[in-house]
Amino acid sequence: MKKSTKIKILIIAAFFGLGIQQACKKNFLYQTNSLQGTADATFNKPADIISLVNAIYDTYQNSDLLKKCIWYRANFGSHDFFNWGGDVFWNTYQIPATFGGVTTLWDQSYIGIARANSAFGIIQKALSKGIIDVALANRLTGEAYFLRGMTYYYLAASFGGVPLELSAVTDGLTPRSSRDSVFRQVVSDMQKAEGLLLSKTQLPTADLGRATKGAAYGFEGAARMWLKDYAGALTVFNNPELTSNYHLLPHFADVNEFTDQNNDESLFEVQFDLPQGGTQDWNGSWQPPGGELGWIDSFSWPEEITQQGYDYGNPALWNSYQSGDIRKLLTITGPGDTLASPGIIAAWGGIKGYPPVLSGYQAYVSSLAAHAADATKPIDTADGNKYAVNTNGNTVAGNIINTTGSILHPWFGSDHGRTGYFCSKKWRDPNLTGNYNNPKTNAAGLFGSQNQILLRYAEIILDRAECKVRTGDIPGAMADLTLVRDRAWGGTGKSPMVMQDSANYDGTPGVPITDPLQMVLSEYRHELSGEYSVFFDLCRAGTDVAIAFIKSANGTVDASYNPIPNPAPGPTHDGLQHGLYNTTLTPNNALLPIPQGAIALNPHLTQNPGY
Amino acid sequence: MRKKAFLSGLLFALCCLQVFAQQKTVTGKVTDLASDQPVVGSTVSVKGSNIATQTGADGTFSISVPGSAKTLVITSIGYESQEVLIRGDNQISVLLKTANSRLNEVVVIGYGSTTRKDITGSVSSINASTIEKVPVISAAQALQGRAAGVQVTNNDGSPGGNISVLIRGTGSLASYGNDPLYVVDGYPVGTSINNIDPNDIATIDVLKDASATAIYGIRAANGVVLITTKRGKKGGLEISVNAYNAQQSKPKEYNLLNAQQFATLSNQVEAADSTHTYHGLPIWHTPSALHSVDWQNALYRPGMTQNYNIGIRGGNDKMQSAMSLGYYDQKGIVLGSYFKRLSFDLSLDYQPTKWLKSSTNAKYSYQDANTPFGTGSLYQLAVNPPTLDSGNHQTTQIKDANGNYGFYNPINPNVFKFNNPVYSVETNQSKNITNFLLANSYLEATIFDGLKVKTLAGVNVNVFSASFFQPEDDREAAQYPGAVSGTAYYHQNQSNTFDWLWENTISYDKSFGAHTINFVGGISAQKTTTTLNGGGGIPPNSTIRDLAQLRNLQFDQFGNGQTVATLESQFARLTYSFSDKYIITGTVRRDGSSKFDTSHKYGVFPSGAVAWRIKQESFMQNLSWLSDLKLRGSYGEVGNQSPIGLFQYQALYNGNIAASVNGSADNLGYPFDKIYQNGIAATQPANPGLKWETDYQTDFGLDAGFMKGALTLTADWFNRKSKDFLLTLAAPAQTGYNYITRNVGSMDNKGVEIAVNYNGNSGRDFHYNIGVTFSSIKNTLTSITSGTNAVTNVTTGLSGGALAGQGWDQFSNSVVGGPLGEFYGYKSIGIIQSQAQIAGLNSKAPGGIYYRAATSAGDRLFADVNGDGVVNASDRTAIGNPQPKFFGGLNLDAGYKAWDINLYFYGTYGNKILDYVESDLESFQKRGSEGVENVSVNYYNNRWTPTNPSNKYSRALAVDDNTLNNVPSSAWVQDGSFLKLKNLTIGYTVPPSLSNKVMMKRIRLYFSTQNLFTITKYTGLDPEIGTQGGNATLNGIDNGTYPSSRYYTFGLNVTL
Repeated sequence: MKKSTKIKILIIAAFFGLGIQQACKKNFLYQTNSLQGTADATFNKPADIISLVNAIYDTYQNSDLLKKCIWYRANFGSHDFFNWGGDVFWNTYQIPATFGGVTTLWDQSYIGIARANSAFGIIQKALSKGIIDVALANRLTGEAYFLRGMTYYYLAASFGGVPLELSAVTDGLTPRSSRDSVFRQVVSDMQKAEGLLLSKTQLPTADLGRATKGAAYGFEGAARMWLKDYAGALTVFNNPELTSNYHLLPHFADVNEFTDQNNDESLFEVQFDLPQGGTQDWNGSWQPPGGELGWIDSFSWPEEITQQGYDYGNPALWNSYQSGDIRKLLTITGPGDTLASPGIIAAWGGIKGYPPVLSGYQAYVSSLAAHAADATKPIDTADGNKYAVNTNGNTVAGNIINTTGSILHPWFGSDHGRTGYFCSKKWRDPNLTGNYNNPKTNAAGLFGSQNQILLRYAEIILDRAECKVRTGDIPGAMADLTLVRDRAWGGTGKSPMVMQDSANYDGTPGVPITDPLQMVLSEYRHELSGEYSVFFDLCRAGTDVAIAFIKSANGTVDASYNPIPNPAPGPTHDGLQHGLYNTTLTPNNALLPIPQGAIALNPHLTQNPGY
Repeated sequence: MRKKAFLSGLLFALCCLQVFAQQKTVTGKVTDLASDQPVVGSTVSVKGSNIATQTGADGTFSISVPGSAKTLVITSIGYESQEVLIRGDNQISVLLKTANSRLNEVVVIGYGSTTRKDITGSVSSINASTIEKVPVISAAQALQGRAAGVQVTNNDGSPGGNISVLIRGTGSLASYGNDPLYVVDGYPVGTSINNIDPNDIATIDVLKDASATAIYGIRAANGVVLITTKRGKKGGLEISVNAYNAQQSKPKEYNLLNAQQFATLSNQVEAADSTHTYHGLPIWHTPSALHSVDWQNALYRPGMTQNYNIGIRGGNDKMQSAMSLGYYDQKGIVLGSYFKRLSFDLSLDYQPTKWLKSSTNAKYSYQDANTPFGTGSLYQLAVNPPTLDSGNHQTTQIKDANGNYGFYNPINPNVFKFNNPVYSVETNQSKNITNFLLANSYLEATIFDGLKVKTLAGVNVNVFSASFFQPEDDREAAQYPGAVSGTAYYHQNQSNTFDWLWENTISYDKSFGAHTINFVGGISAQKTTTTLNGGGGIPPNSTIRDLAQLRNLQFDQFGNGQTVATLESQFARLTYSFSDKYIITGTVRRDGSSKFDTSHKYGVFPSGAVAWRIKQESFMQNLSWLSDLKLRGSYGEVGNQSPIGLFQYQALYNGNIAASVNGSADNLGYPFDKIYQNGIAATQPANPGLKWETDYQTDFGLDAGFMKGALTLTADWFNRKSKDFLLTLAAPAQTGYNYITRNVGSMDNKGVEIAVNYNGNSGRDFHYNIGVTFSSIKNTLTSITSGTNAVTNVTTGLSGGALAGQGWDQFSNSVVGGPLGEFYGYKSIGIIQSQAQIAGLNSKAPGGIYYRAATSAGDRLFADVNGDGVVNASDRTAIGNPQPKFFGGLNLDAGYKAWDINLYFYGTYGNKILDYVESDLESFQKRGSEGVENVSVNYYNNRWTPTNPSNKYSRALAVDDNTLNNVPSSAWVQDGSFLKLKNLTIGYTVPPSLSNKVMMKRIRLYFSTQNLFTITKYTGLDPEIGTQGGNATLNGIDNGTYPSSRYYTFGLNVTL
């Protein structure tokens, strides 16, 4: 054979080599992913299945969802608190369908629901493969049902009827169901959860924060109240799982204290824990991971203390607390009020210990020169504090005070756009310093580890009272109200027999409340303001009931969209506008708009009327 | 010179020695008819066989031919081919004419080449001399306006060039789903060729219709760009030096307020604020006391580009080699931005025997690029408040003589969200280094005359390494008790891509009388492995960058790992030509891809084409005015798999992430009893039905020549139906996912593309060429399978990130039956002039509010499109199509004696631009955030006030979120048509008599300028706005990307 022929044969052989390789290596087109895993590759031990359910809880660790929607709705909706900053449309109920918080509530809720829906199958498969035992499978399945039900509860309470997605695979184009159907689904999910979850008494300490039977009964009852099934709700609320395992804490102050998280009164709270080395500044961000790892309670504190002050209180709420009610200063404080939180007093001595106060709260005081109103009263004689204008005419220093603003110089914020009243219920985490440097950590203290209580036993008792009113058991209802009120006045038998607000929104004296339902509503307001319930509880009683209650409590005026001066006498009664709104709630505005983005992606969704 | 002549003579003699007994040797010389200069590197072949040689440096050739050989064919790029009869004397002199008709131009078509006249598909070609005329950074830029049907857009002016190339419109909605496939010297390299020095490119051939592209199967739907790099030529040595230096002017700037105007505006807004909630900084109340800072002046600067390329190319009969060394260095016009590239190219062609040939290429390049502010939304830095007063106590300047940087007051909410960008760019350090290596080698054996087998193997390696360091910043904390220090941070990441290719082909080319057959078939395998990792933490001091010493060191949550993609394929193409009149081509490729599940692993992509060279018919011979006419028709199916990532067909889970993750994503875990527990969640649903996009493309074209080929016309009509287009779509949250990848729907692109070229010669001294390309493409979304009838934009794909401001998360809506990416928003019909007008509108509105409760005189009036009495989201409507009615280029080349000139215009007509920047320049509120920002002087002067009842500009407000004047609306839509003089070059070639004296063959000096002027009605800075991220739903939105500006270039081309 000629040499060239041999080489030709060799080349041809090489040519076919690839063909042989292609034929033999069938796996050439099947490659393995090393970045993420398939279900079979992922779920191989009990911890993996637990992790799957943990990720459903995780959807609630979200500032947009929890603060900018559920908390806003619960408190701005009732006009007990207002927004300052980018979301001021809440103050007039003019919430755009493009608002990011609403979008997040919707998206994040459905992502949580989908996580729950996909968990059922994976848990069952793990059970059948022997990866987990029946007890764990039941508990985890119960948690998934609970979380799905609770998510539908807040969706229906916020938006009305929403699409019911109940299976692991969906094209996401389901139209809205009726509001009642959604609440019936909540009842059904909670009933399943009740049969599967552990009782609070059985829950290991390491699992504190997980859903329990009691929590499921609590939400089942609340859902039944939306369905007007008050008798059914009453039965649920009387279940020993609730009545035996949960108790009102003796001291109201302790309910929301940092040191008393997951306490005996709490049915379900969203857990937060800032990890070691976790960022607490804005670089951690409002969005996850920042808003996910830690909770941003300083958001509500005065701008003078935190450079934040994104929400503030309605003086009408401050005025309304009945004389002797110790809940007042633990819920809302105004000019000249001291903080009452034991934890804050222990850590900082009150307002006086915070860094901006120690340094003369320059940010605030330097802004005063901008305001003619302040220029006329440079010396604060009422409380002995002094504000001095320096030779430049615009830099001033303030003395140390220990109140949330002084009588003569309320803390209206640098733009005088806030009322001077603040939510002290959310002022409990001693590790927070807002946007200011925390000298203890040498970093900003924006995010902290304070859990957020969504449902506690006091609300169950008030819910039960409403059910009793609705079913005609007025004495029973009064007994329940007294349970809650007695603690608010410091012990059994201490609450006044007659219920009445100290003063109305305009400063006129309150009159005794005699209507049993109005008594319950008033207690919702005074017990639960600043938490995650009031507006929802009012609307649950009826949209018209809510509108009337808010109107009466705050003196709202139809189609009034601009801030008004505080009509009530007192330190902030200066005839100027300080972010106090008096817009009347309309039936349309009792529901949030369906997010515009959600409608764009699912054309079967209809918008709520008025948006 | 004498030595060179001697060497070539020796080679010549050696060649003569290798004469076979039955053969004869033909020698000759090929000369340019016009200039009398030898034509180097032209191909001399025996007609009907594959025996060929090339002319040497002096234009001479020698070829051994069989005794039976009758005719030699001489071809050379840029010349008309000639056929010469072999007569008895065996000494042939050939005068080549500059090609007018380009009929015999060699065209690369993928796995082979052909001549222009034999092409059945639609192919546009550009050669080195065109590329040389305009200084470009990449081959993609050289295509602009020069290839009909190819829309090239400079998306922004950043160094390194952010260029998008669309061939025959948009077939995919996905980000980066419309990029063509680039093939460099036979190696499919993917969708970017920035690592190839344009000076090394000999030709670019753009395959446009499915018949031409089908040989690349599943990667062919967006067209294929074939790059052929310069190679060594037989005979002698050529040394070329190309160098230029370009000065780039500062970009155009927005006309913004100075400190005094800004503070005055603030005071006016404060006075007009009926809610008394806005209060400017105290010091702003005394405008005259303020110091102005000009951010645009601080951030923009003149740019400079240097480019050098030296090439040495040559060889002998058996071996040819080429090497080149290139260096490109651009200092960008935005502070801190640059692009540097060092490239090295080596090729070796070796033919040890008559039947065996090898060819080896190695291209290496090193890139160092940086755009510290990114390339998107740079204008946002311009609107920082124009005064730093009340910030840094040491200085009110951006940077003072002592090196102190100003900063904004860190505790006042009007300004505390703003930073001094000059501080960050001059203080932070970032490095982005990429090393590329593309190396391949083939061996080709001729089994017998016409039959060849070839095996090609190669690697394409890409190693990227980046680092970022931000030192601690305690300046604000030092001056403002309680203000927070900026923490130090160091981050590093790497990615390595290793890609190998092995391809074996067999080809058969033969003529039998009037019949010619060209066949190529082959098999191919390609595997791409990408490894990624990164992490960061807090360094102990500003000098240590050692990851081991960082505090809180964390690996990146995502992107640590490896991905593998594979492709295995079989393909074939057969062309049959009869009598040089009738040509038929059939192509098929079968691709197997690892991107899809078992049931969709393999796709088959067939195509066919016919061409009829009518002019060759006897009945056409008498038409002397028509020098050529060819009709073409083709149909084919081609695929696109690039829009999606790997493993999209599997249900995937992610989790077990540390509580404190580094990155913006969710950790999925949750604490119980204050102890963090891991979480795991699904990240995407299973989608086993996922498959590639398929384009069904029909093309009818004609190629005509008139006036003896001086005037040529190529026209194509095409209909490109894209089905199953893939899209990672914003999904309804109800699915449980924010985004899902799906085969979403179908769309059509119908279009006409025309290229006209006129080559005029007036005597020997003056010649000119006029080239026009014209393309008109109509794009229609024809169906969506996901149950919706529209696809909304995904703003996260925008360079610079999502747009801030209410409503701007949706600004385009592609509705079935309409064009892709059509702008979507409210219809603005003027400005409300009085409270009475509002009361009138409200009185008819169910619910009592026409638009917003906070609406006041001076606010924007939107149309109640659906007539329900109120304006809300359902009144949004289509407000403009970002796609041009047509686009094209006009190229004028002329030469007179030693002078040459090139003018090149590019333009689009009929497209709309959505000017987000303008909406921001009319917004005093810092969009989507707290604080206030700068506005335009035009807005300041003309905005609505009670005494200036403008019907165009709304009133100034510190917070727009209540009144929503600046939502996406027709107020921001403008005509985006433009005509731009992209290039003007004047060159002078030193007369050969002079250059020869300094031992050089050619010396050309040139001056050129780019972007000299633009004719447009668009009021923004630059109407050349592309499709961002290649995403058709993000088309034509002006979000203030990295600006472009004029270049002034001096250059030199030398051939030794």
